[in-house]
Amino acid sequence: MSVPPGLVTRDVPRQEWRAAAEQARAEGYDFFDWLSAVDQSDAEEDPGLDVVCHLMATGPDAPRPLARLLLRTRVPDGQPLASLTGLFAGAAWAERETHEMFGLPVDGFDDGTGAGLRPLLLPDGFEGTPLRKEFVLAARASKAWPGAKEPGEGEGSRPRRSSSRRRLLPPGVPDPSWGPR
Amino acid sequence: MTVDLPTPRVGVLADRAPEAVRIVLNWGRRYSLWVFNFGLACCAIEFIAASMARHDFIRLGVIPFAPGPRQSDLMVVSGTVTDKMAPAIRRLYEQMPEPKYVISFGACSNSGGPYWDSYCVTKGVDQVIPVDVYVPGCPPRPEALLHGILTLQQQIAAERPGHARSRLRPRPFAPGPVGAGELTRDLVAKPDQPGAGEQRPSGRSPSEPQR
Ligand code: SF4
Repeated sequence: MSVPPGLVTRDVPRQEWRAAAEQARAEGYDFFDWLSAVDQSDAEEDPGLDVVCHLMATGPDAPRPLARLLLRTRVPDGQPLASLTGLFAGAAWAERETHEMFGLPVDGFDDGTGAGLRPLLLPDGFEGTPLRKEFVLAARASKAWPGAKEPGEGEGSRPRRSSSRRRLLPPGVPDPSWGPR
Repeated sequence: MTVDLPTPRVGVLADRAPEAVRIVLNWGRRYSLWVFNFGLACCAIEFIAASMARHDFIRLGVIPFAPGPRQSDLMVVSGTVTDKMAPAIRRLYEQMPEPKYVISFGACSNSGGPYWDSYCVTKGVDQVIPVDVYVPGCPPRPEALLHGILTLQQQIAAERPGHARSRLRPRPFAPGPVGAGELTRDLVAKPDQPGAGEQRPSGRSPSEPQR
């Protein structure tokens, strides 16, 4: 993956997450852009969630105009991460979204309402954390997928047997235990 | 003060109109379709392109843009319909006066498209409202929408006034036309905020100099 110019990536341990953000802000990275996570629970070593936070330097003492910084940390499953809401008030929405989409526990979350971490986008009563790889896309279990699974398999074309390519199975597709399809 | 007005419907007289009058009614209807763009994703851009000067669907009698669903005849659902947006589509559809028509524009609103597997995408807007014409593509070109409009106009020309297809089709999703009372909603109450009124802390720490 090519790194865009002006982008610095900094990997920090989970315990130093907030301190690293504080230090970055002192360096001039004063604009909170976004915060999200990447599900790395199938990584060989140290599985967990990669939490990524994108900061930008907008002030006159920025290292360079609009310099950008990616803060990244690996959080083992179920472990909490310190909240950045005390540093950047705008982190509240991003942390709520990461909490509901990835199930990331956030310590010390405070968005001024006192209501704590609560769902932001998902409809009421939604169960599960849909952006994790283990989340089963249950639609295929209840309804036939209308598309073609392999190239040349669509309606009106003859199915090709024994292609040498690896069969495509996207992550999250329910396994046969969910019933026949 | 608000007044509860019934949703306008086509009168019984149109049903008994002689053939010549029907033709004139249909002719008027198909060339003055006030369109209401339910743009939800990338397909909406193609819809907008179709409404602009190069493709220009006004020459087909489609008038952009109705001020709201209550003034429109045709709803074009263009883009990815999510389960959270579906009730809003349903509500605005019910607000449109009869006769009303729906074009589903693009793979997403036809069937869920590339996001069929997603946990949050509706597998076709026709699960929520009746659709008259489906335009395939991801995104369809504006010409495809023009063809969809022509197809819809042919359908309108063949129908009996007061019997738009949307009223005759079986509607598994709702028992029938919905009354005006169900389409209005009281103002949403502002949530209680314990910290409201106080000065919210700014993102800057006090030690830093103010610029
Ligand atoms: S059909 Fe394709 S272009 Fe249209 S909204 Fe869906 S993804 Fe976007």
